[in-house]
Amino acid sequence: MIFTIWKKEVESYFSAPLAYVLIGLFSLISGIVFFNLLVTYSDGIQSLPPEYTEQISFVEEVVLKFFANVNFLFLVFIPLMTMKLFSEERRLETLDLYWASPVKDWELVLSKGLAALTLVLCFLAVTIIFPLVIWGVGIKDFKLIGTSYLAVLMNAGAYISLGMFCSSISSNQVIAGLLSILGIMFLWMITWGGHLNSNYLVAEIFTYIGITSHFERLLRGVLGTQDLIYYFSFIFIFSLLTVKSLGRRNW
Amino acid sequence: MDKILLVDGVTREYPGRVAVSNVSFSVESGSIHGFLGPNGAGKSTTMKMIAGLLPVSSGTISLFGQKVTPEGQELKNKIGLLPENAPLYLDMKVEKFLQFIAKLHGVKNIREQVDHVMEELKLTEVKGRLIGNLSKGFKQRVGLAQALVYDAPFLILDEPTNGLDPQAVVELRDFIKKLSAKKTILFSSHVLSEVEQLCDQITIIHKGRIRASGDLAEIHRKFRQGLVLKIGLGTGESLPDLSSFGSFEIQHHSQLSNEEVYLVNFSSEKDQRADLGKFLIDRGLHLMTLQMESPELEDIFLHMTENR
Repeated sequence: MIFTIWKKEVESYFSAPLAYVLIGLFSLISGIVFFNLLVTYSDGIQSLPPEYTEQISFVEEVVLKFFANVNFLFLVFIPLMTMKLFSEERRLETLDLYWASPVKDWELVLSKGLAALTLVLCFLAVTIIFPLVIWGVGIKDFKLIGTSYLAVLMNAGAYISLGMFCSSISSNQVIAGLLSILGIMFLWMITWGGHLNSNYLVAEIFTYIGITSHFERLLRGVLGTQDLIYYFSFIFIFSLLTVKSLGRRNW
Repeated sequence: MDKILLVDGVTREYPGRVAVSNVSFSVESGSIHGFLGPNGAGKSTTMKMIAGLLPVSSGTISLFGQKVTPEGQELKNKIGLLPENAPLYLDMKVEKFLQFIAKLHGVKNIREQVDHVMEELKLTEVKGRLIGNLSKGFKQRVGLAQALVYDAPFLILDEPTNGLDPQAVVELRDFIKKLSAKKTILFSSHVLSEVEQLCDQITIIHKGRIRASGDLAEIHRKFRQGLVLKIGLGTGESLPDLSSFGSFEIQHHSQLSNEEVYLVNFSSEKDQRADLGKFLIDRGLHLMTLQMESPELEDIFLHMTENR
């Protein structure tokens, strides 16, 4: 059942121009970002005396910044993907098709979430050329590249679950999209709130709730259990809220 | 006949309003049951509750002896639903869409079943076309096909002929009649003549409450409350006092080119046409018409749904 709905959703993404436009834009912007980071790094190296060049880390200046920018792109790209997931079905009353069938709400939410994640994988697939370039210049830290990909994928999963929930509470796609963007920004800002707070406990709680600290740790290759628990609980909670929102059947 | 659907005291509340209040009726196995009501009467809400799409606020619905709930999965494959707005994925091709629905319902022989339904509904010629590009009539047929593709024994059709051209209406009506040989159908419509042609039993709902439910003939009989006679007299002749036949009321009087037509409602149900004819002729009147009138479903419907 999950595979059937997942397949239909993926086909639906690729039957409309939106998916191609998003993938095209994503590859263009990420390409420009990567190129700029490389040029800035190279200029920085050349402008310094040889004894100082080792102080500029390629990983810090190019790899980490690149993936941080990918995360920034997700702020817009993922809400654009998820905003229609339920609001469009709600508007066209096509959810009746699932509700009149033996499909359970959690199966529907999981299938749609996995389909959105599949599209994100397509985004990331076009960036695979950048690790090859990095490998070409002699950086062979594949663990770091792997955890960086895992970091953006985990963030994407969290944003998708949040976006799905927003889409399940409004029949207006634009409102659903805006709510998702605000939600993601809130997740970023709450970490900054933690940094600014002088109370240690409050600061720790804020930092844990915010997504940024977890993302940064994964990005730097620290595969911590607490971060994975954070991501999986976040995805689980928002998926559960989406299931509950559908379960109210008040549409 | 067995009652396969029992709706018992069902109420559905939304914040600030009651959509359906204490609704009770039943549907017999193998029948086409007409569900009538003006817009906003609560038909669609009731039908969605029966299909298990919406939970009831109170009361119970049982189908094939099992309680209907949105969580209950066992009944889902036994109910074919065509809601008022046919739920269709406009970006899918007809055949793919029907195969998708068949998969959702766990149909084993998907290809044969989809081909069969497309053939029955004359959709084969458009099977490769996007649903969004089809005409309203074809879209409605695809909507019906998705309700039939998993061969459910109970069908809920919410205004299936709404918005179709006359030829498509006749075709769809014939098809529904054909379906009733194998399935039980709960069918809502605004077109009362259609309901009279198709249904043996009806339920009339208005403002969320049931006004009448049962055999069409029985409802006709109940509504009659006395006897309505159409009496035609010669031009310029007026109806004499008929109080010797019990209390009466002239419902309507119209003047035709060569006839004065009176519609008279007698409180007594006794057929007194023979005596009445003699009575009128004895008074030198030119009796041109004397016939019993049975109320149209439209009269019943209007009576049930007006000023209440």
